[in-house]
Amino acid sequence: MTAKPRKNPAFRGGRCIRPGGIYWMRYVIPALVFYVIFMAYPMLDSVRLSLYEGTAGTRQFVGFANYVRLFTDEVVSTRFWNAFMNNWVFFAYHMILQNALGITFAAILTNRTMRGRQFYQTLIFIPCTVAVLVMGYLFKIMMNPQWSKAPLENVGLGFLVHSPQGWLGDPGTALSAVSLVSVWQWVGIPTMMFVAAFQGIDDDLIEASSIEGANPWQQFTRIRIPLIIPVIGMVAIMTFVANFNAFDVVFSMETLDGAPNYSTDLIGTLFYRYGVAGQHPVGIPEPGVGAAISTSIFFMLLCGVIPVLVKTQGKE
Amino acid sequence: MKKLIAILMAALMCMLPLVSLAEVELTMGSWRTEDTAQVQALLDKYYEMTGVKITFLPTTSTQYNATLRQQLDGSIGPDLFYSRSYATGAELYDNGFNVRCNDIPGVMENFTDTARSAFTAADGSVFAVPFAAVSHFVYYNKAIFAEQGIEIPKTFEEFLAVCEKLKAAGITPLANGIAANWDILECVLCGMIPNYITAEERLAYESGEKKMNDETWVRIYSDFAKLVPYFPEAFASIDNDQANVLFGIGDTAMLIDGSWSYGTLSGDDYDIDVGFFTIPAPEGFAPGFSLHPDFGIAGNAASAHPEEVRAFLQWLASPEGAKVAAAGVPAGFLPSISADVAPEGGIVSQMFAEGEGKNADMRFVWSKMMSLYTPMVDQLNAICRGEQTPEGAADAINALWEAELAK
Repeated sequence: MTAKPRKNPAFRGGRCIRPGGIYWMRYVIPALVFYVIFMAYPMLDSVRLSLYEGTAGTRQFVGFANYVRLFTDEVVSTRFWNAFMNNWVFFAYHMILQNALGITFAAILTNRTMRGRQFYQTLIFIPCTVAVLVMGYLFKIMMNPQWSKAPLENVGLGFLVHSPQGWLGDPGTALSAVSLVSVWQWVGIPTMMFVAAFQGIDDDLIEASSIEGANPWQQFTRIRIPLIIPVIGMVAIMTFVANFNAFDVVFSMETLDGAPNYSTDLIGTLFYRYGVAGQHPVGIPEPGVGAAISTSIFFMLLCGVIPVLVKTQGKE
Repeated sequence: MKKLIAILMAALMCMLPLVSLAEVELTMGSWRTEDTAQVQALLDKYYEMTGVKITFLPTTSTQYNATLRQQLDGSIGPDLFYSRSYATGAELYDNGFNVRCNDIPGVMENFTDTARSAFTAADGSVFAVPFAAVSHFVYYNKAIFAEQGIEIPKTFEEFLAVCEKLKAAGITPLANGIAANWDILECVLCGMIPNYITAEERLAYESGEKKMNDETWVRIYSDFAKLVPYFPEAFASIDNDQANVLFGIGDTAMLIDGSWSYGTLSGDDYDIDVGFFTIPAPEGFAPGFSLHPDFGIAGNAASAHPEEVRAFLQWLASPEGAKVAAAGVPAGFLPSISADVAPEGGIVSQMFAEGEGKNADMRFVWSKMMSLYTPMVDQLNAICRGEQTPEGAADAINALWEAELAK
């Protein structure tokens, strides 16, 4: 009995895989459908929504009125630019401090003489696994002199207390305090990414450079850093996008209004106030203005992301 | 044949839920997560009486409006829901989400115009059955008052003297803070305003006849500013929850908060003995009483059980139903119905007694001046931080209101 020649699945249906054909389309379709329905369409629809006024049922086309309001109305534009600038400060803390700490921690963790690497790695990563709301609430209480002043002074750490109003109650320090809590919580993410990147560097390169007489600092700045530039770019973009979408840390520590005196108001909280919830206590949202805020921010983010992508990616 | 039997079986299975649906189940949305146990007990009582089961599904207060709107927009709203008063509540009706209540027996007969007006849309439609009003009080720790030999102050001047005496004794007089961005206006300032401005005078301010920076308003803001030194040291970091805790654990002698907090403050969480009085009027002013229509119960126009929804609303609008409900909701919510339904000698009666013979009015900005809410909170915060003078605050608010009237 001769075995039937087995049909190659690629030839099923009589068509064969031709190089240069569009056979690959069928593999892309599921992801494409998913992307279009859940990402592209809602995004475009939000652009459309920004040209309307009112909520479901009473929606009316108003052209660019929402944008005009956003950029010319005294109250709304003040809040928008205030939130926009706050967001840059919030981003600067993460970009400079969090990512620098991430690289430093990663360099230390990947050092061959490092002991207890797993332990420290876990320690640095643990805060990332705790819910932002829980963390924010804990810090809110810890930073309140009402509860923390006496205990801290008892152990000689009185200088950590910002009297009398607390770090979160003083408009001059609140944004920094919130940013630092967020930096502290999320420093584990860039650390992990940089650890992975450093580990991907060929040991031969390092060895060769030692033979050539490079000291560890030179190895770090001339070899290890240049080799992980694409990862640094990726982390920078992730930080950028995550920070301009930030909401939860302010929500949990400083209410939706970005208290005190809007000093911690970010684009995320501003958008939520205008577009989703409406200002307390009236609570009548203006989805059109919200969509105008998100559309404006989308294009601003795009202007930030594209140059970074071009600069850091693509050169393999 | 087998196929046919299978189809028949499937059809039968589909009909089973219909049979068991004879028992109607409704849901009720609310912003009172604190009251879940009590309100559910009340609804269970209603179930015993009528066989209609209602499940209480509350959302946190500050998220309620947004959540409810999204539920209603997506046609998954609760059959019955707590309705905010005035513009916020009316907005949902204008979008067609509420059952019109005008023809529900009891709604037009058993409530005063004032109580109903808070739940009446611009076209005269009643969009919810008025349910409860709230007031704002100074809560005090009876033990601390007794220890310090302090009597309940009769005037604002005496009140300040009490604060001074407590402060001198090393006790923080008031637990209030400004971090929550709402209670400083809703409870403190709106609790004070009826002492200075009557309901009729409010209308003159709303129409622009009187200026929002006249001497009365400067006086209100200056009296408010006099309270700030008696707030806790870190008041800018203290929100409403923390203020409640500070007072509840006995660290401060007094707390200015809403009547709704009575339940928590006197409840099992804390072991202090709580008393309350209205914020006293200054000498030469007629004492006022803030009585704010807070919530009504609305029916969802898109409910799958319109009959049962209407029946429940009718029950609430009847003295018998309101009496059961009044006994069931937590202390601190003052029944809106005209009939005498509050449990005899209970906390609600005591709260009503506080207002006897005083000029009652709602929270000042609620009726027409809601656009001033956020600016007023901002001005009060600035006064508290020492960045604004009472005159400056009054001028800023007046400018906004004049601009609004000019539109």
